[in-house]
Amino acid sequence: MFAHYLDLAWRSLKATPLATSLMALAIAIGIGVTMVSLSVYHMMSADPIPSKSSKLYAVQLQVMDEGQTYHSADDIPFQLTFLDAKNLYQTLNIDKKVVMFKSGFAVHVNNPEVSPMLQTTRLITREFFAMFELNFLYGGVWSQSQADNAAPVTVIDETIAQKLFGRSDVVGESIYLAQRRYQVVGVTKEWQPNVKMYDLNNGAFADAERIFIPFSHAAAYEIDTWGNTNGWKREEINNFTDKMNSEMLWTQFWVELENDKEQQALATQLDNYIQTQQDLGRFNRKTREFSLRNVTEWLEYNNVVSEDNKVMIGLSFMFLAVCLANIIGLLLAKFLKRAPDVGVRRALGASKTQVFYQHLVEVALLGFMGGVIGIVFAQLGLWGIRKTSHVYESLATMDVSMLLAAPSIAIVTCILAGLYPAWIVCKTSPATYLKVQ
Amino acid sequence: MLVMNNIGKVYQTDMVQTHALRDFNLQVNEGEFIAVTGPSGSGKTTFLNIAGMLEGYSSGQYMLDGIDVGKLNDNQRADLRNQKIGFIFQGFNLIPDLNLYENVEVPLRYRGVKAAERKRRIENCLEQVGLAGRAKHLPQQLSGGQQQRVAIARALAGEPRFLLADEPTGNLDSLMARQVMELLEQINRDGATIVMVTHDPELARRTPRNIQIVDGQVADFTLYQGKGAASQALKSQVGA
Repeated sequence: MFAHYLDLAWRSLKATPLATSLMALAIAIGIGVTMVSLSVYHMMSADPIPSKSSKLYAVQLQVMDEGQTYHSADDIPFQLTFLDAKNLYQTLNIDKKVVMFKSGFAVHVNNPEVSPMLQTTRLITREFFAMFELNFLYGGVWSQSQADNAAPVTVIDETIAQKLFGRSDVVGESIYLAQRRYQVVGVTKEWQPNVKMYDLNNGAFADAERIFIPFSHAAAYEIDTWGNTNGWKREEINNFTDKMNSEMLWTQFWVELENDKEQQALATQLDNYIQTQQDLGRFNRKTREFSLRNVTEWLEYNNVVSEDNKVMIGLSFMFLAVCLANIIGLLLAKFLKRAPDVGVRRALGASKTQVFYQHLVEVALLGFMGGVIGIVFAQLGLWGIRKTSHVYESLATMDVSMLLAAPSIAIVTCILAGLYPAWIVCKTSPATYLKVQ
Repeated sequence: MLVMNNIGKVYQTDMVQTHALRDFNLQVNEGEFIAVTGPSGSGKTTFLNIAGMLEGYSSGQYMLDGIDVGKLNDNQRADLRNQKIGFIFQGFNLIPDLNLYENVEVPLRYRGVKAAERKRRIENCLEQVGLAGRAKHLPQQLSGGQQQRVAIARALAGEPRFLLADEPTGNLDSLMARQVMELLEQINRDGATIVMVTHDPELARRTPRNIQIVDGQVADFTLYQGKGAASQALKSQVGA
């Protein structure tokens, strides 16, 4: 019977092309707007590293003196001091740990035809690639010995390789970061998590870095941060060494933990570290505070998907509701115009339920049509958003789940909108129309 | 077949109560062909609507084929209507978007008849009313008489035992009216029970029994020359 209802629905929609177009357009606009905000929200809130989001932990230390406050939910700074990051990396008895910060250089090669370019760069320890699942196309990460000796080595991604050399296999080639010559030891596949979870301080949705160099270069070559530096006390900073030894916050520290036992062990080590530092006159607080948050908790703690985004979703659904409210009137008029036919069907044995079902199939088909057109509108909207800023390039897109969600939402909401008109027409007394038709 | 005992039907508005039927009593036996006459507003159509379960009634009891209609819910009434009753209307009431084949198919769809069986029945019925060659035509492409024949084919497709006809020739010229009447007589001879509301005394005279409704009650019935076995049985029943 469903196929029959579908056939009747199609004929009915074809019979009133203007009304059908208007209704489909109203649904499409509503769905288009809703899907734009829903798609962006979906991409913003998607797990950036599903296989490890419960294993990777951001480390925070409460380094500030008693009475000092910070703009985080628990008053603990988001970042670490260079000193603590370096100390933790050297002292923590844990295999998978990484310390990092953002910097940047003017990048060029020995080829006058290739224009220099300004590129952000991440100073990292070797574990970064494995912990955050970057895949090497060629070569690999630098050795520990190269890191310890601050050897001028770098890992770049395939996009940078293509830009600088016109090919991806560039292991062994040299590039210049500012005036220093670096040897490429590895080329990674393009990597752009939907959220830059490892460093939310400089834009949660900013582009991931494409050039990586050893963390040891910070001290060796006095490479300063291009990211945010947060100070919480007055300090005399006259040179980079002062900054490295200061209480200023500008590095990130992550660990990978397999289970609660490892987490507990790390907590003990962090507590001991703070105690040690307190003995040295730092961490002037009565309580020793630190925090370990996995990726999911970290994104929530940093309010990556803000309330504004949720409000936007709510508003877009309200807009969809307004669009649907408009089609209720049209549907009602259309269905009541057809009441005589319904009277005949009722006289010939159709139950109210069957008449109701038939009309709901029609609104569902209308919803499907509106949903499909709505996808086109949504794509246009997302394209417009992508054009406003490169930040949205990976966010303002529709994945398969959103493509499937669009007609589903349209069908469900249309059925909801069609309930009242379908109910009105199905409870019409058939006798009213049979005599007068 | 059909028994109505003390049926009452009241239409209620804010200010006025209108008694369309009051203490309406009627028995229709299997195989009868009855003409229902009466002045406008007397309650003929209300009676037909109640008989066809298109409307409820306010009081009394209505038994159709031994089933107390008052105890059925809407879906059960729709099923019963679909199984046992065929309708023929003055205005034909064909669905304009459907071709003849599809119009005749409507009651069979709701009955859940399989496609092959539907096809057989539809072709038979259209053949019976002389429109087999026009199955793909839309109703508006036919004359009034042809449309009424399609409506009759639709009523017959469900193989109902009970046909309700509301002024079936009311919109037709005399030639077409005669053809339709002959068709109904043939259907009655084939075994269907028919109740026909009509204003036309000529048509009424052609049926074995006439019922006259006045002010919502059966005022009179007249027995004419019946040809079928049911008419003979009725004659003996009423002592005619």
